[in-house]
Amino acid sequence: MTQPAPSTRPLSRLSRRLVAVLSALAMLMMVGCTTAGTPSEPPGHTLTIGATSEPDSMDAWHNAAAAIPQVVLYNVYETLVKVDADGKLKALLAQAWELSPDGLTYTFHLNPAAKFASGAPVDAAAVVANIERLKSDSNLVASLQAQASVMDSATAVDTHVVQIKLVHPSIMWLYNMSSTLGMMLDPSFTGDVATTTAGSGPYALKSQSKGQSVVLAPNTNYWGTPARFSEVTFRYYTDANAMNASMLSGDLDVISNLQAPDALSQFSDTSRFTTISGTTNGEVVLGLNHKTKALAKLEVRRALTMAIDRQQLLNTVWNGQGTLIGSMSVPTDPWYEDLTGTNPYNPDQARALLKEAGYAQGLTLRLRVPTFPYAQKSAQFVASALRDVGVTVKVEELDFTRWLKEVYGDGDYDMTIVAHVEARDLGNFALPNYYWHYGDPKFAALYNAADQAKTEAESITLMKEALRYLADDAAAIWLFALPNLVIAKSTITGLPKNATTLSFDLSTIAGG
Amino acid sequence: MKRFQLVVGLVLVGLVVASAIVSLFWTPFDPIQVDGANRLRPPGWPHLLGTDGFGIDIVSQLLVGARATLLVGIVSVGVSAVVGVPLGMVAGQLGGWLDEVVMRAADIVYAFPALILAMLFASVWGASTVTAMAAIGISTIPAFARVSRAGALQVVASDFVLAARVSGTSRLGIAVRHVGPNIAPVVGVQASVVFALAILAEAALSYLGLGTPRSVPTWGNMLRQAQDQLFTAPLQSVWPGLAIALAVLGFNLLGDGLRDYLDPRLREVQ
Repeated sequence: MTQPAPSTRPLSRLSRRLVAVLSALAMLMMVGCTTAGTPSEPPGHTLTIGATSEPDSMDAWHNAAAAIPQVVLYNVYETLVKVDADGKLKALLAQAWELSPDGLTYTFHLNPAAKFASGAPVDAAAVVANIERLKSDSNLVASLQAQASVMDSATAVDTHVVQIKLVHPSIMWLYNMSSTLGMMLDPSFTGDVATTTAGSGPYALKSQSKGQSVVLAPNTNYWGTPARFSEVTFRYYTDANAMNASMLSGDLDVISNLQAPDALSQFSDTSRFTTISGTTNGEVVLGLNHKTKALAKLEVRRALTMAIDRQQLLNTVWNGQGTLIGSMSVPTDPWYEDLTGTNPYNPDQARALLKEAGYAQGLTLRLRVPTFPYAQKSAQFVASALRDVGVTVKVEELDFTRWLKEVYGDGDYDMTIVAHVEARDLGNFALPNYYWHYGDPKFAALYNAADQAKTEAESITLMKEALRYLADDAAAIWLFALPNLVIAKSTITGLPKNATTLSFDLSTIAGG
Repeated sequence: MKRFQLVVGLVLVGLVVASAIVSLFWTPFDPIQVDGANRLRPPGWPHLLGTDGFGIDIVSQLLVGARATLLVGIVSVGVSAVVGVPLGMVAGQLGGWLDEVVMRAADIVYAFPALILAMLFASVWGASTVTAMAAIGISTIPAFARVSRAGALQVVASDFVLAARVSGTSRLGIAVRHVGPNIAPVVGVQASVVFALAILAEAALSYLGLGTPRSVPTWGNMLRQAQDQLFTAPLQSVWPGLAIALAVLGFNLLGDGLRDYLDPRLREVQ
């Protein structure tokens, strides 16, 4: 019994020494903490935004995913002019601009204070370099390439004055310049735009972790009103419920767009949450591949349109939130008119039209959709509705990267469903190489006439005509326009009601 | 007690089979027809268990879902038994390097869960019932190979096989006449257990969108659809979950019951 005693003694001595060392260490650490924790300026707020579609890269010029401009447009890369929450053009990098009487030459007066994150000025030479880059890049996304081809040349008149000549007058061009096309990249930047950013906006890319988030940090060199947040995180969720749960538990400050409208009631506590319900530019289009033999026939396209009860679809798929549209235009467009009455729901007539087109025996079509909630649910509704009129629909769900490659890129599909979130994007129907392969010459002529009209009023009249033509020709099936359902903590202010651009514009948001 | 397991197992499995057969001829409502006016109905009349977010009757979907469950179970268990059992028998009977090769290969396959395999297949050929069956079938081959190898080893070492060999019966003859019949009960039990695993795997795969497309009602697809309304209509996810649980329980009980019923040693102990 006496034997253990000597051996415990050194141990206890050791442990006493350990305790002393540890407590000293702990005190040191505490001191360290307090000194580090008392900075002279208060720590900035951070903002965490939940979103569902993740960008593959930061390169909006070579990747059509709208998730990229959602993060970078206006926040990282600025444009000469921007579209505000009311859909009006206003100054950004350019303080003022004028159009020559022949409608061919735009003159922009740049803000002399504007500079890139690197410190280099956003001067006329930088704008010219950007436009030349766009014009010479043959790998540009198809729609951007078409938009860029409208420009003939750009010249630096003065250090801060730049003139851009167009090939033909274009009402759309200036709007396009307020979006992805007009994003100004630092000409001195030589890195990879997919993984780093070099813009003139209030924020710059800090990090991207694939499958999780994109983090923006303030651009300390910013020339305008400094960033309000010390860090902005876009966190991506593949599951709408998971995003809602994160919001409910307080992990998120904002849900950029609620993807499960059935869950709206979960956020009814107004002391905790603000709910914003506005409009977007997102037309949920059931795209038809005009290279598919059956879909090249007008009767078939009309029959498919008539087979789908779009009001019922909206109720079922999106809890009735959103707007029915009958063509490629949303209610905030100046040329919007209600075309939902064109090719109205009428399954009997749909069957008759299919018979007329020679498909009395039935027709099988592949519906390849990206894995977005609105697309998957709409696909199920459409498959059921078309089965009613004797069309067999084979639904395939693809992750968005694969969808972009196979459907958008290679045109390997019969039908697909995706939201077209760009503003004023009916011009895509005039592109024969766009993934719908529509390119109807009559529509293209109508659209171009509208775009090149001398006055806005004339342009609007012609645009309306072009939209009616699209609806009549059943160029695609317009299921509905997505609502802008934003949920925010009640402490967050300045969120715009309508989403008029591709950007999740951080400039007006405050709080946290 | 042992009988009880077998009976409950048989009843539950019988219920699944009966649902699948009934669904071929009759369902209370159309199981794929979307009816937006009747969405998210609570249980009642005429929709006994209510409707889902698309207004589709849940009872009808459960009945039709049993088909996919059985089809995937039968095909994948069939594939893996047809491949795994002969492999295991050959390995057990011949031994040596062949045994090593087969069993190490089985270990490697064992290391890949059905889910990973299904993701691989789905990315190459697109998600479908066939890719789900292939993934489940391939990943359960080792289970059959191991069980039949162990059985074969035991049988080959027995006196009657020694006698047969002395009397000049070929290896194939021994496999067919002695090893096969003797390991059949074990393989049968294994099949029942693997079947239960296959049901779970199938449900998991369609829930994740890696199996049967969403437009075809399966229990996994029903769960996936119910998830969107998990907080607003929670009952909806209970029914397919319950169906999966009961089917899995049924096949497991059947397996246990069969083992006890077929194993002579266990019978003697009692």
